[in-house]
Amino acid sequence: MARLRNRKKKVFLKPIVKKKQEQQQQPNVDPITGNKIPKSFVFSRGKLPGPLRQLQMDLRKLMLPYTALKLKEKKRNNLKDFLNVAGPMGVTHFLILSKTETSPFLRVAKTPQGPTLTFKIHEYSLAVDIAQSQLRPRCPQDLFKNSPLIVLSGFATGDEHLKLTTTLFKNIFPDIDINTVKLSSCQRIVLLNYNKDTKLIDFRHYSIRLQPVGVSRRIRKFVQNHQVPDLRNLQDVSDFVTKSGYGSESEADEEAATVTLTSDLSRVNRASTKSAVKLQEIGPRMTLQLIKVEGGLCSGEVMFSEYGNGGNKKKPDGQEDSEKDNEMEGSDDDNEEEDSDEDIEENEEDDEED
Amino acid sequence: MGKKNEKTLNEPVSTLDLKSMIHENALFFDKLIELIPARFYLSNEKDKPWFQGLSKAEKASAKKQSRENIKKARRDRLDPEKSTKTTLDLLKENLEKEKVIKESDEEEIEVKPIMSDLGNGEEPSVTYEELRQRLRRKIEELRGGRNTGGSDKGKKKIEKKGNVQKKRKRDSGEEEKKVTSSTDRDNVEKDMEEAAKELTFSRVKLGDEEKHGKKKKRKLSKFKELENATKLQEAKKDPEKGEVIAKKHSWKAAMDRAAGIKVHDDPKLLKQSIQKEKKRHQKNVEKWNERVETTEKLKTEKQQKRSDNIAEKIHQKKMRRIAKREKKLLRPGFEGRKDGFINEGST
Repeated sequence: MARLRNRKKKVFLKPIVKKKQEQQQQPNVDPITGNKIPKSFVFSRGKLPGPLRQLQMDLRKLMLPYTALKLKEKKRNNLKDFLNVAGPMGVTHFLILSKTETSPFLRVAKTPQGPTLTFKIHEYSLAVDIAQSQLRPRCPQDLFKNSPLIVLSGFATGDEHLKLTTTLFKNIFPDIDINTVKLSSCQRIVLLNYNKDTKLIDFRHYSIRLQPVGVSRRIRKFVQNHQVPDLRNLQDVSDFVTKSGYGSESEADEEAATVTLTSDLSRVNRASTKSAVKLQEIGPRMTLQLIKVEGGLCSGEVMFSEYGNGGNKKKPDGQEDSEKDNEMEGSDDDNEEEDSDEDIEENEEDDEED
Repeated sequence: MGKKNEKTLNEPVSTLDLKSMIHENALFFDKLIELIPARFYLSNEKDKPWFQGLSKAEKASAKKQSRENIKKARRDRLDPEKSTKTTLDLLKENLEKEKVIKESDEEEIEVKPIMSDLGNGEEPSVTYEELRQRLRRKIEELRGGRNTGGSDKGKKKIEKKGNVQKKRKRDSGEEEKKVTSSTDRDNVEKDMEEAAKELTFSRVKLGDEEKHGKKKKRKLSKFKELENATKLQEAKKDPEKGEVIAKKHSWKAAMDRAAGIKVHDDPKLLKQSIQKEKKRHQKNVEKWNERVETTEKLKTEKQQKRSDNIAEKIHQKKMRRIAKREKKLLRPGFEGRKDGFINEGST
């Protein structure tokens, strides 16, 4: 099947998809749970300024390993082209970034006919900025080899559109089979927190680290770093081992965040010992607001709209509204920046406007 | 040796001697039993794990379970504090269990005492706990004065503060609790429960779900789906309830699609796919007919060729025979075959 796919790729693809050798052998069906593994495309519509392009890259890294890391898109690509490619490759979700004069937007959609959620990005921080703000930024080698876990908070008591958001986000990442999952493969976590008052969603991305608890700091550092400690001022090795300094600031948090491991994680974290779970932030940070839910893929009837029906017609730089195919039932005219960048249609539209 | 035993047996045996003899024999047998490891002597149902016939997830869980059991058993065996159970003890246990089962046939409820994590392992380290409490309080005081760049800890920090406040409220309310450490542990658990009500996690597949699931819905044929879809459309156009139905359906369809379930509700698309299927079917039928034709043709050709060859052979044979006959008449000085009399007619 992989060979077939390659041939198809070279024939009629407009968006050039380059995948690494390993990724070409990615399974479509999870061998253990038997479900289909959700894959995603992260791309942009329209020209994005520099920081937004970085944000797009960060989002791509976030969705690893089941996404196209080096997806290249040309200006003349429509949404339809992406759809055509998505089918044979088993891509199930699209994350589309776009920008208008007011603010950038993020659309999360499920192919081929799925619902589309439009989020307005109020604020965002890039991964680079976050790493620069930290004293000891952490990025181990295989951090992006496994997909992240996802935790949603505050969505449970919401309306339909919140429930839809929950379902959609839960299904963007593959399932976890608790029987066979290895603890060492859960290394990242994505947090979405819904604030009922301001209706804003906080989006955070952390890396998980386990630290054994109950060991004095010195011994722990010694075992982890293999650095010979300085025993100049001590009379005896027992001083080194039994000297207990003040606990670090974060040790008080550990009471609530300790877990008992069921399996060995590394030399230091052994099974059935207590370890503290520590989260360190990586990756982009966003504040989103859900403003629209559509029944189709960037088309179809609007099922929920923050600002009321018919409002919020966006005209991103250069792109014009053009939605010719209305397949879904009773579609309203809420069609924002649609895809076609093609010259012919643009000219037509210009004429119409004039 | 044997005769000596017989001698002892011939003596008159009183009941006391009989009892002591039985007792000695019993002791001897007990010692024998103790020598045999429990694995071989007692039949255990769980000895052979049965892996065949289970799904992959179940197999994985069963294997994990058995590995853990092995580890646990090894630990128990080598643990000096835990009592070593000899085969004899296990046998006695089994007998007692059988007795109990026989006595209480109807009620077979196993009451598992709820093991609370509260009290376990606390006693030896009470003073250490107190020290930790003091340390924690000190740190929090210091932290109150410090300005943490809230961005990094963010939400976690807010939750933690909330927890601290909740703790204070509860501590004032509950004055009956004796040990301070247990209240804290309690509070943490309660907070976790409350928080867990609000949290949703990623999809987790449990191995047991497959058993309990309802009968999977049979895939309806496309024709039937088309019927359903058209019915739905008409229902939507209904002036009274149309809007309600339309809304409900669109939300339900969106949720299903988001969850990965395929929803076929557009009659136009369904018609298209039915057409495609028909065409594909047609093509396949044509191909099949072609194939049948070609095989028939080949068959007839081959048969024809064969019969031709056979006929040819027979013909050749005849020709050879004639040629042979003719050869005989080619001897030198032969003027040819008699063609008739020289004088035609008889005079």
